[in-house]
Amino acid sequence: MRTPNLFSPPAGISESSRRERRRMLARTGLAWLVMMQVMMLAFPGYLRHAERSAEAQQTLEQAIVLMNWSSLVLCMPLITYCAWPLWQGAWHDLGRRHVGMDVPVALGLLAAFIPSVIATWRQAGEVYFDSVSMFVAFLLGARYLELCARQAVAHLPAHGPDGTLLALADRWALRFVCVQLLLAAGVGLWWWWVQPGQAVAVTVALLVMSCPCALSMSVPAALAARRTLSLRHGRQSAAEEQFLDEAMQRVARQNLFGSLAWHGLVTPLAAVGWVQPWLAALTMLVSSLAVAANAWRLTRIRGSGAFGLVNSTG
Amino acid sequence: MDGLFLLLPISLLLVLGIGVAFWWAVFSGQFDDAGEAAQAILDDDDS
Repeated sequence: MRTPNLFSPPAGISESSRRERRRMLARTGLAWLVMMQVMMLAFPGYLRHAERSAEAQQTLEQAIVLMNWSSLVLCMPLITYCAWPLWQGAWHDLGRRHVGMDVPVALGLLAAFIPSVIATWRQAGEVYFDSVSMFVAFLLGARYLELCARQAVAHLPAHGPDGTLLALADRWALRFVCVQLLLAAGVGLWWWWVQPGQAVAVTVALLVMSCPCALSMSVPAALAARRTLSLRHGRQSAAEEQFLDEAMQRVARQNLFGSLAWHGLVTPLAAVGWVQPWLAALTMLVSSLAVAANAWRLTRIRGSGAFGLVNSTG
Repeated sequence: MDGLFLLLPISLLLVLGIGVAFWWAVFSGQFDDAGEAAQAILDDDDS
């Protein structure tokens, strides 16, 4: 028998699930392709403020204009096609008058993309195309993994403690997003008043940071890992099931409060302007991966001999 | 500097070509099952 693999579709997958998987993979792959190009094109922009002769500076400025236009061209399909699920999610949330995860994502994208287009058109000011493309690519990468995990365990029955844990995570994510959005608005206004040049960068960094990706993945990742265990080993004795449930709840809480603590740590740094938007996007990816890795630890529980322990004591 | 005016559009065209090829490959099902090719050689019936 084949071992269950996250990147192989589960047996008997429906045609619509298969199409959803393909579409998500196409969007994610194209976003990563665009991101790598745009990061390269963004590099001259970071050299702008170094010391050099007037002639060299003029050549550099011309090159930057050219690179910015190329980045804009590359970002158009990224914003329209790749980011489509994000716009759709935000629109859906607004229709239900509910602040979900996609609302801060959409706001962050708009806050970074529109000023960049204006700066490109006017050939003056900073552009954030690299941050925009990184944000979309990382986010879609995390969503693709989430989709694969969800489809892999979709046919398994739901679990007892799942509902309360998911509700807990939802409640925290909602509070977190509301606080972060207010904070981004307040801090952005303050920077606008004190130092207008930095205001956009700080607001974008805060909005990117306010995406509760790790937070919203924390409990589903632990649940998916727990169900992978049931899938792999079949039904266990009651004591073992309980042991696994307790381990799952521990991991879910670690994920939830760990990601909250991480955001709490990085947000002040972003508010004082120490975190550039691209660094904020990277931070987001790292925290999501940490959550996924922590949940993955759960699926290796058998190898560590934990079951033997339960059997000998119970 | 003049070279950039030629090379940048060429690189954009290349990216476009790679993007279209990737898109085609995804929707023709080539990435559907990453383990399929490795498994097929084991499932092969020689008799």
